[in-house]
Formats: sequence, C-alpha cells, structure tokens
Amino acid sequence: MKRATTQELKTFFESLGTDYDLRAPVKLHDGTRVLGGLDEGPLALEGGKIPQKPTSVFFPQFDEVFMVSKDGQFHAAEPVKKPIFVVGFTAQDLDCLEFIDKFFSENYRDDIYFNKRDGAVLVGVSGKCGKDGEFLKIAGGKCDIELISDGECFIVHPHTDKGKALVESLKASECGCGGVKMETLKEESDALPKDDEETIDKASELIRAGKVPDDFWNEIATRCIACTSCNLACPTCTCFEVYDREQDGKMVRQRIWDSCQLDGFMREASGHNPAGLQMQRTHRRIHHKLAADVERWGHRTCMLCGRCDDVCPTDIGIKSVCKEIVERYS
Amino acid sequence: MSVMTKTIAEETGGQIYQPLLCKIGSKRVLTPLETLFRIELPEGRELGHRPGQFVQVSILGYGEAPISISSSPTRKGYFELGVRNAGTLTGAMHELKEGDKIGIRGPFGTFFDAEKLAGKDLVLIAGGCGLAPMRSLIQYCEDRPSEFGKLTILYGAKTPGDRLYKEDLVEWGNSNTFACNYAVDGVPDGACFDEGQVGLITVLIPPLSLDVQNTVAVIVGPPVMYKFVIAELKKKGLTEEQIVVSLERYMKCGVGKCGHCAIEHLYCCIDGPVFWLNEISGIRGAI
Ligand SMILES: Cc1cc2nc3c(=O)[nH]c(=O)nc-3n(C[C@H](O)[C@H](O)[C@H](O)COP(=O)(O)OP(=O)(O)OC[C@H]3O[C@@H](n4cnc5c(N)ncnc54)[C@H](O)[C@@H]3O)c2cc1C
Ligand code: SF4
Ligand code: SF4
Ligand code: FES
Repeated sequence: MKRATTQELKTFFESLGTDYDLRAPVKLHDGTRVLGGLDEGPLALEGGKIPQKPTSVFFPQFDEVFMVSKDGQFHAAEPVKKPIFVVGFTAQDLDCLEFIDKFFSENYRDDIYFNKRDGAVLVGVSGKCGKDGEFLKIAGGKCDIELISDGECFIVHPHTDKGKALVESLKASECGCGGVKMETLKEESDALPKDDEETIDKASELIRAGKVPDDFWNEIATRCIACTSCNLACPTCTCFEVYDREQDGKMVRQRIWDSCQLDGFMREASGHNPAGLQMQRTHRRIHHKLAADVERWGHRTCMLCGRCDDVCPTDIGIKSVCKEIVERYS
Repeated sequence: MSVMTKTIAEETGGQIYQPLLCKIGSKRVLTPLETLFRIELPEGRELGHRPGQFVQVSILGYGEAPISISSSPTRKGYFELGVRNAGTLTGAMHELKEGDKIGIRGPFGTFFDAEKLAGKDLVLIAGGCGLAPMRSLIQYCEDRPSEFGKLTILYGAKTPGDRLYKEDLVEWGNSNTFACNYAVDGVPDGACFDEGQVGLITVLIPPLSLDVQNTVAVIVGPPVMYKFVIAELKKKGLTEEQIVVSLERYMKCGVGKCGHCAIEHLYCCIDGPVFWLNEISGIRGAI
C-alpha cells in the first residue's frame, strides 16, 4: 500500500480535477473546516469530522427539483457535469451515507439525489487525525479509498476496483513495512471504547420497550429552543420542504432541508397538527432514529457521528438524552 | 406495508418529482368552497389508479398539494378531484378554467382493495371532505355491485350546505344498490334538511342491522371522527381486522422522502393513506 504526505495527496486530488468535481476538507480563513474546492483554502485532512454533514454533497440544503421554461414545459434538473469526488467521510459518516443511500433508493428512487450520488468517488479519513489527536475509527470499507493516518502520513487503502485504479496515479512511496503499521492501527481502532454504542443501544431498547414515560419527553422538551440545529447537522436527517420561486425569469421548484422540530412541520390544511406539542416533536427526534427506524429498516439510524451533541445549544443532543434515559430507566 | 402501483413518472423517465401536464376537461361547483375538477391525461391515456389513491397536483409558482382521486377507475377517459379552497395551491386551482393545464403526479398510496373486500357487506362511512376519496369506492361499487354484498353509505356533514356531491347523494339514495343514511351536525336558521337525521355521524351506526361476520367498515373523515366511529363499530361487534381507515397527513412529496407524513415507522403517503385498523392500532398518534 502507498503511504502519502498531505502534499502528495493534494497533488493527487488536483490531478483529478479535470475528470471530477472535487470536494475535500479545506480550512477557510476564519478557521472553519468545510468540504470545498482546493482553491478555497489549504487541505485540512486532520481535525476529525467536518462540522457540516458531508452527506450534503449529495443532498444539499437547497436543490433544484425541476425548472419550467417560458413555454410551460417541465425540465428535470441538469445531470451533473462531472462525477463528484469527495474526501473526508469518517467511519460514522460512511455508515450514515450507507443508510441514506438505502433510504433514497427504496420504494421510489429519488432521481435528484442519485443524479449526484451515481458515479461519485468516496474517500474516507481515519486513524490518528482526529480533533486534538483523537483516533478516528477505521471504516475498513463503505468507501472507494480510505486514508488512514499513522500520525505522520496517510496509508492509502483502496477498498474498491475504482479506488484501486485511481490510486495508481498517486505519486507516493510504498509503505514498505509489510503491513505491520496497518495491523497496529487496526488494533488501536478495534480497541476504541464502545460506551456510546452500548448506551444508545440500551436507550433504544428502553424506548422500544415503553420504559421511557411521557414526563421524560416533556422534561427534555422544555429544554429545546427549536433552533433546528440538530436536524440540520444530522447526516441521516432527510426531511425536506418544497417551494416554487422565480429565478432569472424562469420558474424553479426547489427543495430545502426541513426540521421536525418546528411546530408547522406536520400541520394540515384543516389545522389538525399531529405534532403540535414540543413534547411530541422531541419524542419524534429521538424515537424516529432509535425506535421507528429500527422497526422500518431493521437498525437504528443514529450512527453516533456526534454532530447534534456538538451543535445543540442546550445540551440535549442524542448522546446526552440517551445517557439520561439509561441512567434513569434501566 | 408500502405498495408501488405504476405511476405516470414511468413516462417521464423515472423522474419522480416531475408532473405531467394534464387538461382540465370540466369544472363543477359543489359548494361555495369546493369544486369538482374533471382531469384528462394527454392522448386519452388512463391514470391507472385504484379507489382511495391520491395524486399530487401542481400549479407552477403556487406549489403542489395531495388531492384524493374522487372518481372510480371504472369510469374511463378522465379522473375527478373534489377540491376545497384551503390556501395557496387550492385557491389558485379554483381560478383555473376549463381547458387550462394542470400538473399531475401519481397515482400514489395504498387503496381500498376491491379483492379483499369482494363478497363482503360494506359500510362506507364518510365525514365532511372524506366523501372525496370515498366517492371513488362508492362509484366502483355502483359499477360492479355483484362483486360485493350489501352496500351501506353513511355520510355526515356540518350543515346541509356543507354537503359535497349533493347530486350524487340523491342518486345513490334513490338507487337499489345502496342503503343510504345521511346526517348533519346542525341546521342553520332558514335552511332545511329532510334527507336524514340531525346529529353527529355516530347516530347513524346503532340502528344498522349488520351481518357481523361478513361486514367490513370503511371510514374516511376528519381526524376527530375516527375514535368515535370506531368505538360505535366495535359496540356492533366489528373487530379491527374488519375496519379500514384512510388517514390524512401533511404531505409534500407523496413518495416517502420528505418525511412530513411519518406516523412512527410508517409513511402515510406510501404505506397509507389507506390502512386496515389492526395495522396501526398500536401506533401512537395514528388515530
Ligand atoms: C392524502 C390526502 C388527500 C387529500 N385529499 C383532498 C381532497 O380530495 N380534496 C381537498 O380539497 N383536499 C384534500 N387534501 C388536503 C389538501 O392537500 C390541502 O388542503 C392542501 O394541501 C392545501 O394546500 P394549499 O396550497 O391550498 O394551502 P396552503 O396555503 O399551503 O396552506 C393552507 C394550510 O394547509 C396546510 N398544508 C399545506 N400543504 C399541505 C399538504 N401538502 N398536506 C396537508 N396540509 C397542507 C398548511 O399547513 C396550512 O395550514 C388531502 C390531503 C391529503 C394528505
Ligand atoms: S449523532 Fe446526532 S447528528 Fe449524528 S447521526 Fe446521530 S442523531 Fe444524527
Ligand atoms: S439543537 Fe437542541 S435546542 Fe436546537 S432544536 Fe435540536 S434539540 Fe432543540
Ligand atoms: S409525503 Fe413526503 S414522505 Fe410522505
């Protein structure tokens, strides 16, 4: 396997720019890490997960549904000009993407999502490159190429044929350790604490068994200010609203992320609102990922990426809520 | 769980959000608030729906809304939508004229399954706007009465003036196919009502004589109605396996993606709107 420096990876990514629409973690001048082009700031592979959900590359905050020309005909959104090449998914982000791929393909296939998703190249980042030196879990798959940091350089592990073919043009030396480094890194990854998984699975079990009373949801609800940050940051949140607007003299239908934490999310024309109480909305936020989705998809759909806990101004992200559930009801 | 009937998206190359422009064949005023639109697909094509399904109706610049199909697939060459002027899209729709174009996606959702209802005595219970989707099943039964047992229609509205499809109500009442019982919650001063009882729709249930083993009840109406109607039906001896409901939720996409219509793990747009009561009885907030 090849072992590359950040500079070598940067040169590699730049060389792909003619064939791909490249998005990689870059540092903006204010210090924020975002997924962007290499012309927007220095490549910043280190620092852990990107604050914004990386799935937004395929399911962006605003997206065109279709356009209507002056003669009244509907035109589907233009197919993407180049396939997307995206760097920076953590192992948890890749789990999230795997789920939303399934979500958008089952039943009716969401052609707008797959317009961007089909043909995309995914590059995961793991190892010793988390925030403040934190070790990021090794994904071991679910992406085309994984960049595994050993603290100095990145071991470049292609997981798919497409990844292998692309990595051939990467100019970097062979690791040359005979696989020893990877073994040690894998051991370190396997030894990462599993407390969060255990807590969330236990909380999911308690919710499903009806052990969490309404009083609890009421209590958490009083701490929610309905800022919607948790939904907007979550890579497995997929809800959207649709509206029409005029753009350059043409009518465009767009979709925009929506939040189940808002009072009007479910309000019907008759005024009936099945989620009219904050308690019902707080319950939904957690119950949906830990109980309803288990029923529908066979697994929970919180992959513990940590974003909602990072952004919630009142400390009621899913991990803290689960901790409270387990402490109080098991 | 979810059913996937063929939709007209297959003709727009699988673009599930792209409406097909269809013609408004005719318009008929039902009440001061509600109008019946007859819609024709291009080149005389059929929508291919089943009773109880809905379409997403679009007017560019005004948005999109789910509307139940109000006519039976046994009536060929068109389909009908009974629409209440409730806001932006439905308001703009009322301004359209015969011959104008309107965007349609669908048909979507689960339906009243004629195969499962075959041979049964049916009690069709509609409240208010619920008569819109129910009418597709009533017309179906009217066209194929031999497929079913005894057919009873119960319809309730707030006042006589709020009643939808008044001509149809008279026709069904006069036909040998149906036993019809109508009610209104109240009669305003100066109005008259001699076609049924004054009271909530639930007053129509106790007097029914049912062959309990062979009866299925179908309920469509405003949210408050379900609990009370179901309780009356249970008193009559019907079980949850013998009750079908159609639920309304805020729907934006119709295809299981936007998340607005979720009832716990079910999406009302693809797993519903039509459910057997036993499929949803344990689900919080469903009824
Ligand atoms: C399965 C289904 C079948 C329906 N069938 C019929 C029918 O046969 N005839 C009929 O007249 N109406 C029907 N409705 C209701 C109809 O969809 C709403 O009246 C319509 O969406 C209002 O849209 P608007 O743009 O006119 O109103 P707006 O100006 O958008 O809003 C007015 C109010 O309607 C609510 N609303 C907006 N969009 C929706 C939506 N997509 N779903 C529910 N509420 C919404 C808003 O929260 C607001 O309170 C049905 C709804 C569903 C879910
Ligand atoms: S940790 Fe929060 S943001 Fe991340 S997947 Fe779970 S619910 Fe979504
Ligand atoms: S981030 Fe926290 S406060 Fe904001 S809506 Fe979500 S739970 Fe409520
Ligand atoms: S209407 Fe969008 S998910 Fe049901």
